[in-house]
Amino acid sequence: METIIFLMVLSLSIFIESTNDPSAGIFRDREDARNLDCTRLGQAEAHARYPAEVPAPPARGTSVVTNAVACSRRFMRNGERPPRDELVLSSLRQTVGELVQTARTVVPAVAPITWHVDAFYPNQHVAAKISVAAKTELAERGLQVSDRVPLLAAGDIAVLGRMPPREAYSVACARYFAENILADDHVFLGLMIVDAREGQLHAGLCVRGQWKWLR
Amino acid sequence: MKATFVTVFCALLFVPSASAMAQELLITEAQRAQVEALRSEVAGQIQLQAYDLLDELVYGWNEQPVFGVETPVVLANVSVPVGFGSGLQALVETHFTSLMLKNPRARILLSHCPQCTSVVVHSGAKGTVISRGAEEPEALSEAGTASGSRHALFLDFEAEGASLVLRARITRLDSALMIVYAKTLSSSTSAPALLRSEDRLKSAADARKEYLDALQGRTVYLIPVRMVVRSYAAGNNGVAAPPLIFLQGGVEAPLTQSRAWLGNFSLGASWIPELHVGWLAQARVARLLSGSSSSLTHPDVYGFLGASVLSIHGTDALAFQDGVPDVSNIVELALGRDPRAIFAAFQLGLELRVKNRIGMGVFLESAPTLNDALALGTYLDFILPFQTVGAEVSFCF
Repeated sequence: METIIFLMVLSLSIFIESTNDPSAGIFRDREDARNLDCTRLGQAEAHARYPAEVPAPPARGTSVVTNAVACSRRFMRNGERPPRDELVLSSLRQTVGELVQTARTVVPAVAPITWHVDAFYPNQHVAAKISVAAKTELAERGLQVSDRVPLLAAGDIAVLGRMPPREAYSVACARYFAENILADDHVFLGLMIVDAREGQLHAGLCVRGQWKWLR
Repeated sequence: MKATFVTVFCALLFVPSASAMAQELLITEAQRAQVEALRSEVAGQIQLQAYDLLDELVYGWNEQPVFGVETPVVLANVSVPVGFGSGLQALVETHFTSLMLKNPRARILLSHCPQCTSVVVHSGAKGTVISRGAEEPEALSEAGTASGSRHALFLDFEAEGASLVLRARITRLDSALMIVYAKTLSSSTSAPALLRSEDRLKSAADARKEYLDALQGRTVYLIPVRMVVRSYAAGNNGVAAPPLIFLQGGVEAPLTQSRAWLGNFSLGASWIPELHVGWLAQARVARLLSGSSSSLTHPDVYGFLGASVLSIHGTDALAFQDGVPDVSNIVELALGRDPRAIFAAFQLGLELRVKNRIGMGVFLESAPTLNDALALGTYLDFILPFQTVGAEVSFCF
C-alpha cells in the first residue's frame, strides 16, 4: 500500500506538469494539439514576451540550456474553414510580403508609379482579403497605391474566361493598355491561384502592357 | 423559381419518416448549438484582441495624426475574419466609433454617408459598373449624394493562425482613389490584451510597462491569516482527541521571483472555554506544482512541507499524553493545575491559491512524539504515522 501511495505521489508532479504539455497525451487530444501554433524560444526572449510565465534568466548565466515552447491556440480551428482558404489566410501576411517585395524589385523606381492591385480567387471574401493585404503592404512601403481596380469590358472578360489562366492574364494586361485603362506610369499587380487544386498564391505584374509572372 | 422547383422536387422524392425527421432535427439543432457555442467562444477572444488593435491604431493617430486639420472620414467598410458574421462587425464598429468620439486628437471626424457603403449602379460611356459608393465617388458626385467626406476608411481584420491582423487604410474619394494612409497591426506584436480605457489610450510600450509593473509590483511579503482545523484519528480504545481549531497569522515571502517557492512562518492560537488554550508556531516551505510561475489570472496549486510546535493547556491536553489518565491527573485538575502537552508535528499538504489572495488547503500531520498516546490513532502509516488530517482557509493581506 505504501509503495502504491509513494508511486502516486511521485507521479503527481509529472501529471501536473503534463497539463502544460502542448503535445497530444493524457490531458490533450490530437485534434486539440493540432490547433496550437507553437514556437520554441530561448529563455531571455521567452521572458521578454511572456514575463508572467517565464522567469528571467540568471544574471550570471547558466551552463544549462533552457528554452520555452510558446503555444497559442489558432483562432480558426482546423476544419472550420475550407482547407485551401485556411492555408492561404493563415500565412497571408508572409506570402503577400514576399510577393510585394519581389514585385517592387522588378519595377524600376525611376518615376512615380501608381500601383493597382486585384486578386483572383474562387471565394470572393478571400480574394478581397488578399487584395487588401497587398494594397496595405505596398502603401506601407511608401508606394503610391490606388484603390481603383482596372476593369475590362464585358466582352473582354467573356473571351478571357475561355482562355487558359496562364495566357489569359497576359492578354488581359495587353487589353488594359490597349483600352487606356492603365497608362505608362501605372502598374498592375495581380495575385491569384492558377490551378483550383493548388493552395499557393501566384503573382504577376503588368507593366506597360507586358505581363511578367513573379511566382 | 428554378431553385424553388428543385427544392420541391427533392422534397417529394425523399420523404423520411416523422421520427427520423425529428431525430435528424434534434441532431442538427444540437450540432448547431455546439457550433454556435464554439463560435461565440472564439468571437469573444477575437473581440478583445480586435479592440486592442483598434486602440493601438487610434493611439497612433493621436501621436501622429494622418491629417493636419480635422478631416471628415467615412467608415466605408469593416470586414471581419472569413467565417465570422455581422455580430462581430457591429461590435468592432461600435468600439471604433466610441474611440473616435473620445479621441479628438486623432483629427478624424467620422461622418455619415450611407450612399458610400451601399451598392450603386453607374452607367456611363464605358459601360455599367455595379459597386459600392465609396469605390465609385464620381457616381456619388453625379447623383449629388456625396457627403462632405472626401476620405474613406477601411478596416480589415483577419485571423492568420494564432494572430489577429488589422489592416487599416484611408482612401481619398476622388477619381484616382489613392490610398493616403495604410497600417498593419498584428496581435502577435502588439501589447497584450489590457482593455485600456478608451479615453486614455497608451502605447504598446507603455501598456507593456504597466503590465510588468503589475507583475513586479506584487507585494513581496504577504500576511496570511489562516483558520485551521485539525482532526485527530481515534485511538484503539475508542477514545478520540478533540479537534483543534487554530487561528494563525504570520508572514510569507517568495523565495524566487516567479513565486515558485514560498517560505512561511506563522503563530497561532486556539481557545475553547473550560477545555483548552493552545499555542502554535509553524514554519513551512511551499512549492508551486501547477506551473513554473504563479499566475495572476488562474488558481495556483502549491504542495507544502511544514514543521510545528504545539502547546496545549487544559483538559483536552490529557488526550495528547502517554498512557491512560489516572487519579493523579484528576487531583491536579481539582487543584487547578491544568494538564499540558507540548509536541512537535510535521505537515505535508496541498494548497489551492487564487491570485495570492485566497487559499484553501488540506494536509496530513505527523507528531512522532505522540506515537504512544492512547487517545490517538493514525489515518495513514507511511514512513511516519500521520495522526492528523487538517483543512485550512487562508486570506492573504
